[in-house]
Amino acid sequence: MSGYIFLLRLMTAVVLGSFAAVAALADDPLVYATIQPAQIALGESAQFTITNLGDGTNPIITLPVVSGLKFEIIGRTREMQIINGTMLPSSSIVMRVTPQIAGIFTIPAVTPKAQPLVLQVTAASGGTSLAHTAPGAPLPPPILSGGSIPKGVHLTDDGSAYVRLSIPKREVYVGESVPVDIEVGMRSGFVSSLNGLPKLTDDNFALNNLSHQPERAEKLINGEQFVVFTWRSLLAVVKPGTFALSAEAPLTVKIRTRPRRESALDDRFGDPFWQNLFGATVPKDIDVTSPPQQLKVLELPTEGRPADFHGAIGTFSIASDVSPGKADVGDPLTLRMRITGSGNFDRVDSTMLDHVDQWKTYPPKSSFNTSDPVGFSGMKTFEQPVIASKPGTQELPGLSFSYFDPNARRYETARSASLSVSISPALADSLTPPQSAGSAGPENKYAAGLRPDHAETATPTSSLIPPYLQPRFLGIPSFIVLAFAAGWAGARRRRTLSVSEPASDRPSSRAAKRVLAQMQAAARTGNAAVFFDSARTALQPLLATRWQIEPEDVTTAEVEARVGAQDDIHQLFALADESKYSGRELNTTDFARWLRIVPLLLTNERSS
Amino acid sequence: MTARVASLLLCLLIGAVQVHADSGPSGYSAADLYNLANSYARMGKPGMAILNYERARLLSANDPDIEANLRYVRTSAHLPVETRGSFDRVARIASPLLLSWIGAFGLGVVAASMIAAQLSPRHRLLRGGAMLLGLSMLGLTICNGLALWPILHEGVVITAATPVRVSPVPMGDPLFTLPEGETVKIAAEHESFALIETRAGRTGWVAHSNLAPIVPRKK
Repeated sequence: MSGYIFLLRLMTAVVLGSFAAVAALADDPLVYATIQPAQIALGESAQFTITNLGDGTNPIITLPVVSGLKFEIIGRTREMQIINGTMLPSSSIVMRVTPQIAGIFTIPAVTPKAQPLVLQVTAASGGTSLAHTAPGAPLPPPILSGGSIPKGVHLTDDGSAYVRLSIPKREVYVGESVPVDIEVGMRSGFVSSLNGLPKLTDDNFALNNLSHQPERAEKLINGEQFVVFTWRSLLAVVKPGTFALSAEAPLTVKIRTRPRRESALDDRFGDPFWQNLFGATVPKDIDVTSPPQQLKVLELPTEGRPADFHGAIGTFSIASDVSPGKADVGDPLTLRMRITGSGNFDRVDSTMLDHVDQWKTYPPKSSFNTSDPVGFSGMKTFEQPVIASKPGTQELPGLSFSYFDPNARRYETARSASLSVSISPALADSLTPPQSAGSAGPENKYAAGLRPDHAETATPTSSLIPPYLQPRFLGIPSFIVLAFAAGWAGARRRRTLSVSEPASDRPSSRAAKRVLAQMQAAARTGNAAVFFDSARTALQPLLATRWQIEPEDVTTAEVEARVGAQDDIHQLFALADESKYSGRELNTTDFARWLRIVPLLLTNERSS
Repeated sequence: MTARVASLLLCLLIGAVQVHADSGPSGYSAADLYNLANSYARMGKPGMAILNYERARLLSANDPDIEANLRYVRTSAHLPVETRGSFDRVARIASPLLLSWIGAFGLGVVAASMIAAQLSPRHRLLRGGAMLLGLSMLGLTICNGLALWPILHEGVVITAATPVRVSPVPMGDPLFTLPEGETVKIAAEHESFALIETRAGRTGWVAHSNLAPIVPRKK
């Protein structure tokens, strides 16, 4: 297969040589023009070359005039070319073409027989480049054949590739998003492949939003043609300090197996065809690193930090509006806040909307429209639905947003103006007839069959809720229920009393129960004095009532005189005295006997 | 006993005066609401017209003009017309205000009958009749409450093609739309939205600005 390709390329070279020989043998010299590259970005330049092949004299030309393109002659060359064994003199005029605007330009043909050339100028790369250049600063010099190597470009030893890292030439701050460009240049024919995305050599930094599809361009560096890939990204800075930052890219390059002086023709043409034709190369994987650049990272100052600062670093401005400007109570309005500028938009949040008091609010939604591929510049929009709860002219307070400006090195607060909204009362809550009611209103399908209005007769009520469900009315049935409960209890009590014992006996009955309880307690403890004293105390009033004497006159002697010495009542009184004054003890049997006798005595005395 | 009865009547009188004192010129009356509904109907706003007819019907359930105009507007708006059942007609035979007092009086009659039965076994037939009368009055009020309870939790759509959303937020996805004048059941409320249920059983959230409850919210 490789032999077939070699044969095909050899035949192609022979055919091309034949065409050149035919041209050389012609009477008229061959004048042609080339432009390299045919597609550039705004801010770059292309090389426009007019070559006179055959008579060796410089062609007499006038500078092309194309609107939007600037032509400058930067050199003339004379050389001899050997084509198909014939030596032919040639002379060239090299011009620099610098576009002023983006677009597709047609450069007129230099001779009537030649074809016009087309130069395509894109705005994307140029726009980004301008965005990274300070206002008023001169544009970077174009890379042209014969010029010096651009600043920041350090070719590898064999001149096959380079990596250039572009970072801001100022101090940066922790948390700041720093736009960086990583440019990987690969000389045509000397680099086989790019084996991965470029990365930073320092672990203290991270690349965010690194584009997977880099911008591609072709440039002439030191007289050689390079394919240049440019990645744009944001550098995330997380740690203060001074760092030497560089980027590296993994490449596979072709290493010559012959001495360099023997490979001059390879270098001259830079094409694998000639390399394979005149000498062998072997592939080798290498990491190409950019020269280190010093980057100083500072902490954010604590002095003057606003309370509402949430980490936004950059340059921002805010604006707000609300729509619609008129609404009814309960209708949702949309409050929009737009933050425009450049910086770490991921730290731009909606906390400033939390201060919209006296409005019902809902969680806002945000959108971000970026003006560059990495999301460094653009506009972030927050839309928050708000609902007014009161009619009248309501005011939405101005919003404020605090950020740190790394260029000014201080905190800034952007503010928006307050907004006024006219809120009308809700239609459903209004008892006022609509303005166009009555005869003035337009007739419609609903008006034709309506029955006429009523005359006002009834007394208005303050609520449509039935009174029996209103708290103030519920007091009336509640009172009735309470009154019923009280009346019911009173009636029950009265009925109970009417069927119970006479009222005069009830206190004695309770006293008898109390005496018996005391006697039982005294019996359990073996206290005879308390036992009989309680019984005597209970009997004394009953006997006094029967005998019509004072209770204190009911003594042992009085009892003996009235009922006799053998009566249980007299024995009880005698034992009471004996246990009180002599300390007589009773056994359990005696206590049980008197506990049976005393209730009987009490009952007898009450009934008598 | 006489003093107790006098105290009871006095308290009832004070309560009645207090309830009646809340009536004022800025309140609702069936005639006003009916006329307001007619005005909205003439303006071509069937939602607001139906809302105010329903409110007027709360105060005067058996007004034939209210019934006729409500039926007419619903028909004109291509909305289903409700038919009232016999229970609804009986339960709403009088205004809720009158039925409130009837219920309170019936409760008092029942209570008095029960107390009288405790105090004296005489006049059993009279007490039985009074008890039956009181229970009937009380039952009529309870039936009125049962008939009105669903209406107290209903609302009327007052804007055309009202979106019913899946969640109670303005940016919630719409499930379906409701025609103006549709009466829906309000199951719950969340901030500025109400969870509604249609007659077909579909549920969703509607903004308060698109829906008006038949019984206005307290401000």
